[in-house]
Amino acid sequence: MTASNGLFALIVAVAAGFFASNVQRLVGYLRLGRLDDSRWDNVPRRLYNLATIGIFQRKIFRDGIAGPMHAAIFWGFCVLTVGTSEFIVRGIVPTFTLAHYLPQWAYRFYQNSQDLWGALVIGAVAFALWRRLTHRVKRLQGAETHANDPLLILSWIGLLMVTMFLAESFEMVAFPQHASPYYRPLSYALANVLSFVPQDWAAFFRSLNWWSHGLLVLGFLNYLPYSKHLHVVASLPNVYLSNTSGPGQAGVMKYMDLEAETEQFGAKDVEHLSWKSLLDGFACTECGRCTAVCPANTTGKLLSPRKIIVNVRERLEQRALELQTAGSGRETAEGRPLLDGFISEQELWACTTCRACVQECPVSIDQLSVILEMRRNLVLGESRFPEEVMPAFESMEQRGSPWAFDPGERGKWADGLDIPTMAELAERGETADILYFVGCMGSFDDRAKKTTVAFAKIMKAAGVNFAILGREEKCNGDPARRMGNEYLYQMLARENVDTLAKYHVRTIVTACPHCMHQLGNEYPQFGGHYDVIHHSTFIAHLLAQGRVPLREELHAAVSTFTYHDSCYLGRYNQIYDAPRETLKRALPVVHLVEMPRSGDRGLCCGAGGGRMWMEESEGKRINAERAEEALATGAQAVAVACPFCMTMMRDSISSRDESVPVYDIAEVVAERLG
Amino acid sequence: MKLAVCIKRVPDMEGRFKIASSGTGIDEAGLKFDMSDFDGYAAEVAIQITEKLGAGEVTVISLGPDVVQETLRKALSMGAHRAVQLKHDAPVSDGLAIATALAAELKDGGYDLILCGRMAVDTQNRSTGAFVAELLGLPVITAISQLNVDGGVVKARRELEGAYELIECPLPAVVTIDEGIARARYPSLKGIMAAKKKPLEVKPAQVGAVTYQLEKMELPADRAAGRIIGEGKDAVPELVRLLKEEAKVL
Ligand SMILES: Cc1cc2nc3c(=O)[nH]c(=O)nc-3n(C[C@H](O)[C@H](O)[C@H](O)COP(=O)(O)OP(=O)(O)OC[C@H]3O[C@@H](n4cnc5c(N)ncnc54)[C@H](O)[C@@H]3O)c2cc1C
Ligand code: SF4
Ligand code: SF4
Repeated sequence: MTASNGLFALIVAVAAGFFASNVQRLVGYLRLGRLDDSRWDNVPRRLYNLATIGIFQRKIFRDGIAGPMHAAIFWGFCVLTVGTSEFIVRGIVPTFTLAHYLPQWAYRFYQNSQDLWGALVIGAVAFALWRRLTHRVKRLQGAETHANDPLLILSWIGLLMVTMFLAESFEMVAFPQHASPYYRPLSYALANVLSFVPQDWAAFFRSLNWWSHGLLVLGFLNYLPYSKHLHVVASLPNVYLSNTSGPGQAGVMKYMDLEAETEQFGAKDVEHLSWKSLLDGFACTECGRCTAVCPANTTGKLLSPRKIIVNVRERLEQRALELQTAGSGRETAEGRPLLDGFISEQELWACTTCRACVQECPVSIDQLSVILEMRRNLVLGESRFPEEVMPAFESMEQRGSPWAFDPGERGKWADGLDIPTMAELAERGETADILYFVGCMGSFDDRAKKTTVAFAKIMKAAGVNFAILGREEKCNGDPARRMGNEYLYQMLARENVDTLAKYHVRTIVTACPHCMHQLGNEYPQFGGHYDVIHHSTFIAHLLAQGRVPLREELHAAVSTFTYHDSCYLGRYNQIYDAPRETLKRALPVVHLVEMPRSGDRGLCCGAGGGRMWMEESEGKRINAERAEEALATGAQAVAVACPFCMTMMRDSISSRDESVPVYDIAEVVAERLG
Repeated sequence: MKLAVCIKRVPDMEGRFKIASSGTGIDEAGLKFDMSDFDGYAAEVAIQITEKLGAGEVTVISLGPDVVQETLRKALSMGAHRAVQLKHDAPVSDGLAIATALAAELKDGGYDLILCGRMAVDTQNRSTGAFVAELLGLPVITAISQLNVDGGVVKARRELEGAYELIECPLPAVVTIDEGIARARYPSLKGIMAAKKKPLEVKPAQVGAVTYQLEKMELPADRAAGRIIGEGKDAVPELVRLLKEEAKVL
């Protein structure tokens, strides 16, 4: 070992130590969050996510330009890390080489891979720099981003590659006996170009580039913890630990123990968030994919899911110092908490809980859970919410519906349709196979009641043995839960679970995706386990079995439909095909045109997350944006599969083009009942 | 400063009312009950006063059967400090009899300010607050829309048709609260948890002699369905004739 090896060993030791202490510091920060959120279960599913979303960059590729570019850099990094490890060991122990451990073909393959991926990374980095410097890519803008950081990082990576090539090539010039086109063909070609350099100079340049490369690698490693490029380290663990793509059903809110001995309900500051939300802060790449699809942000509202996550990290780094120095006599000045200090109430209430941000995030960050935990604190802890929401809360509590309707009239839509209630059946000692959970919109809203009746008629025509709860049905509680009012939500959920238990209900159908999500995915938290089927799936199934007697002639007026995806049906429950299938079967010659944003990229109608009950004065109305998109397809009618979407779409479409009707898929089928 | 708020538990006004078989009251089956709106504002005003002073105590009082405890708990979860139920199981429709019981409880409480609602939103007698003041020999300002308590003096504002009055009187006093003064806050979960630990005393109500009895309660007759006479100007003569002869409004 020479003096230079010794020096390098010393530098590696210091760099590794410094990096380790930074990692330890950051892990310590995570521990400031709530630790009652275990992610050590479901290893196979998590490994699958790691492979598909992490290694194979599934979500990155949703962007056709940045996708391949990032994948080249990422895969290049993976491949080159092997070379870099060898490089570092060899810097300390010059006789070390992987050639001793690998068969020749494998070693040759490995050497070739270093050269090829090095070149690809240079190409991708150059493209990325060019794109950032010459195009104002909209999603990369934003006050919360650290705009110079990516330029520094990209240049850094470029230099890493350049010094790697130069070190290799000058080595070949200085020691021609090492040169071979079969191992590193590109370096070999470069060496040929550089062959005019005298050998002793080449040796010097080799050393210069070798040292530069080594120092750049170690420097890079230690710059990461201070940069948004911490994602290089944090994103793979984050993808592994995330629940946003499973395990478990998407979008299920965490149960909250209201009897817990605590003064703090929900999150006012970073220490009230789960440690996993804090890790999200470290994993965020500031890529802006989330904000670019956020219906609130894109219609001019302040809310930006990226900012929410960037703020979590910023506040965590500040708060950690405060907490760590507390009581030490050297206290850091207290900053303002996450709520109000960084994130305003206005931002939090703008969210429609559409999950588009979560769906899009390439590193499986859960922006929504931060927003919802903060709403819980606002309502449960501080009683702060838009004042127009108060009547909805009070009415849910008083009348079991967010609108001030008489609970006694809940089953009134069924008058004269010969649909029994569970109570009536029980009195006769009978029961029904299926419970139709109608929901508040379907029971009280005049437009939605038409869907309710249409669906009931289809089931009757198909000979389905079903019943309703009538006045015993209560709001499923979703608006309360999404608006942070967990107390009210649990009250309603428990009442419904008790009612359903009374009639031993197993199978439930509903035309409301919010009811479906609650009963099927969130009621298990209260011991309610049911098979919940959305009417789109159920009708598609009945049609497929030929159980619905349809008239033969084709639908008279309308043949071109566009279908608007409901967030709670789509991104929460992955039902995209059934409603389209239902439409096609009901209208054999239907021409279904898709809006640019459809399927799992569908744009929210603007009603979710309790937005239905809030004013929308900031920016453009979300349903206006969606109506324009629907009308731009030239479709003659718009189909929906959710009563909330129905209201939002109908309001905005009828004010633009009276001639384009909005139908629920059940109405389209019922229209053709024989 | 000690404040008392009289709170009545009333049925949800959005419900469908039916007359009970007795014919002198409503059928409570299926009805939801909550604090009368004006009493909610009164509780809010009282709580805000103690919050601003950083001192003082708000006592909420309700007369009625045990279910009123739920209403009292709600006031406690808004931030009132203690509650008293004046237990009385049979309904009383006489405001003076109620006021007598309330006054008996309030008399020795040492309250500086007693707040009632302008009226109970269900029966709307508008009498109890003023009766209480009279029975206690205290000044009363009714139906106020603004309130300021400063150095032993209440200053209040009352809305009139197109005008308003500003009234002052010394403490102790009774005020009855109109709308517009404050919105009752939505209890936070913290408040609900805290309310479970706050004192709620149950005492027998010393209801006064009943001075009148409710004889009979009836729902208004269903409105007759509308009639369409015709369309356009041809229908005008017939409309005028009907307005003159049948409706007798012209
Ligand atoms: C459906 C129904 C059921 C009833 N059941 C019972 C019963 O079981 N037992 C019973 O004793 N009475 C019962 N009552 C009577 C009721 O409690 C009233 O006190 C009484 O009708 C007084 O008249 P008012 O409500 O119109 O008062 P108003 O004079 O219009 O009320 C003005 C203010 O006086 C105060 N106030 C009025 N009533 C009370 C009260 N009860 N407690 C505290 N403060 C009050 C409030 O501040 C209120 O805003 C019932 C009334 C109704 C409509
Ligand atoms: S859930 Fe939807 S509305 Fe809410 S922040 Fe995410 S994208 Fe925006
Ligand atoms: S949260 Fe995800 S999608 Fe949003 S900026 Fe960060 S990494 Fe990108």
